[in-house]
Amino acid sequence: MGEQEYVVQMKGITKVYPNGVAANQGVDFNVKRGEIHALMGENGAGKSTLMKMLFGLEQPTEGEIFINGKKETLSSPTAAISKGIGMVHQHFMLVPNLTVAENMVLGMEPKQKSLFLDYKKAVEITKEYAQKYNLQVDPDAKVRDIPVGMKQKVEILKALVRGAKILILDEPTAVLTTQETEELFKELVQLKEQGYTLIFISHKLNEIKQITDRMTIMRGGKSMGVYNTADVSKEEISRLMVGRDVILTVEKEKAVPAEVVLKVRNLEYTNEWNKKMLDKISFDVRKGEILGVAGVEGNGQRELVDMLFSLNTPDSGAVTVNGESVMNKSQRKIRDLGVSLIPEDRMTFGIAGSGTIEENLMSDRVASKRYNKGPLFNMKAMHDDSDQLIVDYKVLCKSRKQQVGMLSGGNIQKVVVAREFSCNPVLIIADQPTRGIDVGATEFIRKKLVELSRAGAAVLLVSADLNEVMELSDSLIIMCNGKIAAYFEDTSKLDDTIMGEYMLGLKQQGEEEVRRVQHEA
Amino acid sequence: MKHKRKFMFEMIRGLAAIVIAIAVAFVLILLSSDSPGTALECLLIRPVFSGGSLNVKSIWAILGRMTPIIFTGLGVCVMFSANQFNLAGEGTTMLGGFIGGLIAIYIPMSAGLHPAVCILAGAVVGGLAMLIPAIIKVKLNASEMVCSLMLNYVIMYIILHFLNNTFADRSKGSTQTFPFLETAKVAKLIPGTELTWGFLAAIAATAVIAVFMFRTRWGYAIRMIGINESFSKYSGMKVGAIIVASQVIGGVLSGMGGAIEVLGRYSAFLWKELPGYGWTGMTVAILAKNNPIMVPFAALFIAYLNRGCELMSIYAGVPSEMIDIIQAVIFLFFAAEQFMAKTRQKIVVKDAKEEMREKQLAAEGGNV
Amino acid sequence: MFDQLISMVFTTSFGYSIIRITSPILFAALAAVVAEKAGVSNIGLEGIMGISALFGVLFAYWTNNWLVGALGALVVGAFLGLIMGFFALKLKTDIILAGIAVNLMGGGGTIFLLYLFTGLKGNTASLTTPAMLTPRINIPLIQDIPVLGPIFSGHSILTYVAFLLVFVVWVLLYKTATGLQIRAVGENPNAADSVGVSVLKIQYIALAISGALSGLGGAYMSMYYSQSWNTGIIAGRGFIALAAQAMGQGEPVGAMLSSLLFGFASALGNKMEGMPGFSSYLVAAIPYAVTIIGLVLYAAATIKRIKKTRK
Repeated sequence: MGEQEYVVQMKGITKVYPNGVAANQGVDFNVKRGEIHALMGENGAGKSTLMKMLFGLEQPTEGEIFINGKKETLSSPTAAISKGIGMVHQHFMLVPNLTVAENMVLGMEPKQKSLFLDYKKAVEITKEYAQKYNLQVDPDAKVRDIPVGMKQKVEILKALVRGAKILILDEPTAVLTTQETEELFKELVQLKEQGYTLIFISHKLNEIKQITDRMTIMRGGKSMGVYNTADVSKEEISRLMVGRDVILTVEKEKAVPAEVVLKVRNLEYTNEWNKKMLDKISFDVRKGEILGVAGVEGNGQRELVDMLFSLNTPDSGAVTVNGESVMNKSQRKIRDLGVSLIPEDRMTFGIAGSGTIEENLMSDRVASKRYNKGPLFNMKAMHDDSDQLIVDYKVLCKSRKQQVGMLSGGNIQKVVVAREFSCNPVLIIADQPTRGIDVGATEFIRKKLVELSRAGAAVLLVSADLNEVMELSDSLIIMCNGKIAAYFEDTSKLDDTIMGEYMLGLKQQGEEEVRRVQHEA
Repeated sequence: MKHKRKFMFEMIRGLAAIVIAIAVAFVLILLSSDSPGTALECLLIRPVFSGGSLNVKSIWAILGRMTPIIFTGLGVCVMFSANQFNLAGEGTTMLGGFIGGLIAIYIPMSAGLHPAVCILAGAVVGGLAMLIPAIIKVKLNASEMVCSLMLNYVIMYIILHFLNNTFADRSKGSTQTFPFLETAKVAKLIPGTELTWGFLAAIAATAVIAVFMFRTRWGYAIRMIGINESFSKYSGMKVGAIIVASQVIGGVLSGMGGAIEVLGRYSAFLWKELPGYGWTGMTVAILAKNNPIMVPFAALFIAYLNRGCELMSIYAGVPSEMIDIIQAVIFLFFAAEQFMAKTRQKIVVKDAKEEMREKQLAAEGGNV
Repeated sequence: MFDQLISMVFTTSFGYSIIRITSPILFAALAAVVAEKAGVSNIGLEGIMGISALFGVLFAYWTNNWLVGALGALVVGAFLGLIMGFFALKLKTDIILAGIAVNLMGGGGTIFLLYLFTGLKGNTASLTTPAMLTPRINIPLIQDIPVLGPIFSGHSILTYVAFLLVFVVWVLLYKTATGLQIRAVGENPNAADSVGVSVLKIQYIALAISGALSGLGGAYMSMYYSQSWNTGIIAGRGFIALAAQAMGQGEPVGAMLSSLLFGFASALGNKMEGMPGFSSYLVAAIPYAVTIIGLVLYAAATIKRIKKTRK
């Protein structure tokens, strides 16, 4: 077979972005026909960039791409699609206000009289493919109204209907429940059996071991080699990915919780699509402890955090910090109560991308006395403190004047954390604090979080990363369907199978058990 | 990208935009003028040199013309920095001029105080008028852009109503108010020219706005809101209030500019349509890339061209409105992020490679 | 006085003038709808209308044929839309700023262009011949119906085109493949791009259509409404159209209703102008003020609706 067995060959790929980031450096990437090939690496390792080039979304600065042994220039997704490449993006590429069928045929619309859209035909096509590949979807439903799992099926069908033989799946399980993931894996294996080639991007070791044949591991924009999945252990993979053994444990002393700082009572919230996102949520977080909030994403965690920081208003219920209500208060007042927040969406809330590092470090405190002399800024104090924070939080940058948006994800998050941790918070709300950032930054942030809690801050840690929430939390609650499904006072005795059952709604603790998280009346 | 190289690149890019605009002007001149040589000379040289010597009077005139567009330019800078596309600079300039003018006619005061009060009043009404689009934006989330565009017309017609029906001096051939009291006029900086103290006021305003934008917490908030509103709210800034403030400041500046222009240049209020300074202010702000410090330079450039076009229409018969076409072309290219993007990409790639090499060298050096 | 006004409103001539005044705004409002659906805000409508109004007259003058003039205006409008597209889409000028630039050009620039082509300054009244003006159409049957006839018959052919275009634009957006792509591009350009729909191409198309529609609006102004071109001919109608688009929730029919509201306010103003005690200037301000009020009411209603569905 020789070269012919490879459907995709990328040779010596280098990509430099307009902002100067060299995301790929001399990467080789080869995929055999009919295999499930994992592309692994931490966030920022260059996986997405490599795949964007394979799908024609980006152009390589240097290097060549061969599809089925033939050199190709993939100047656009259209070009890639015409070569039989399809991509299921991590953030769904669907138009919410169009129906499933309309999304299916977008760009290849069946027509009547060469002008008008043949909607009936679009529905037929959708049904036909759904049946053929056993991916059940509702053709007439608007995409905004269907569940996540179905959206993903639509995405896969979209690629198939366009004649894809090579499917790129970018972290497809990130948004799925465990059950949905299992279902997806079955579907992927079926596709493989029908002769499709699948490229599976992930950094979840278990999944990779479960379904892939071979893997390419990337680190720092370079390929670390190709391996048969069966031949490498999880530990080896992890070492290749991060260059050393991942330190997953964080040393921490036993918590000595003191008085209640954050008190949440009977929070209820129904969103604009009439879905009950918060259903009588009550809990307390005490000084000196880390309370974890675990759960599959989309079970009310985001809404909860929004309510705590008054970014949204609940239908009913109460939230107090040291006895003072935060409801309908401005973020300024909430911050003045000593609350700080590491937001889940750091690019939207955490930073002003085209502002400097200094401007981003100072955003919550520009009005304070320390930084003002009369109406004017005290620039020296600002410069001094910014420089100090950059050192203390190990922000890798040229100077405080550098644009924050130009930094890597991990360093951006360090800027956010530096700001949120350095304001003497009595309550820290950390929402997915280490999502998508490198191991070094992750470890640093986790250690800081523990440090601050032991120094007397109350910490609410919201995380979809099971490892993180189990390692860091002193005690934790699990959210499912807008309710607290379980409370565990001591996380050290927990195992993930039990947690999984609560997270997926198979189990629910009794009211009495859950009420134990309310330490005050 | 390395600082110096980036700066050079931006300079060259700006120059290229200007060269293209001038080239367009050349073509238009060739098409429309019987004596293109004279026309070109008028456009480019005569504003400063004529008959072999410095055209001093014209230079003062250019500086004088800068005054109102510095004010509107600064106003637009502040509003655009906050990401507020408020286009009512036109209306508020006219309003400031009108109210300032009325006080100059009907309320006698001592000479030193009078213009100050008039200008202040112009500033206040300019700011108040901007409250309408600003509050509608903040409270109801309706587009400040559409609202401010409509506001321009409402203001204009209301002024015309009062100008025609209440304050008109019937003894004059054209519609205008009674003459301003002498005490109220903004004095000439150099007698016999168009240059008034207003020019110095404009430069002072530039300094104030620059300090405000880069050295105070409110200016900081305006800039951060412009970059990322959600971030600013989450950081604890009073986003709504600051958005309103940015637009009010825009109105204050253009209202002030309007009053200064009216009291410095004319002896009675006689604007019968929107003065156009608001739109020019936008060109100025774009040229200055929303940086207040650059506003006077951008204004100088536009005023120069304006003067050139005027001379061209006098001596070469080319309509002075050509300035609008030149402005539009410059405007388009200056605001074009991707204009000459390929060159920029090359520089970036070069930089990144150099950096990688430097790192490598450093690493190797470390190993030795 | 109020009674007088009421009695004036309930006349057929009043209805006739609403439609007459609405027409140019309707063209531009539909132009705004198409552009906005594709995710580009065309605030250059005002300038495009002004420039195509001029070229409409010029083409009609050169050929002594109104149809060539109207088509010329349409083509010039589409061309200007494409130029905006080139800067906004290719060179990444902010679309708002590109629109402002086109408006600058439509201001003084047209005066220059007029001079360039004809040597005239300021207006084209001296060029106008009857053959250059778009004809009035009397609709058979309808013209004989009392009340309705005098209101709906006897308008410029372009007026009927404008109202017909409401339906055409709706069909375009909701019943054609291009329309599907326009809506997809406007709502989620990444999604459209990922399936090989060229976002740029669709936005170019939308801007060209938008330009063409506003070009017709311009032609209506110079080749019917004002009977010639002059400097201030568009007088903010392009801006009002933007407001009509916003009030009409970005839908063709909604935009038509909002345009009619403006037409009504304007016609009312015109009626009042002739009456003692009304200032013609204040009356002229009414449509713009009504637009602001309309925007406010619409925005307030939207907020209320969101709150209500939340409850």
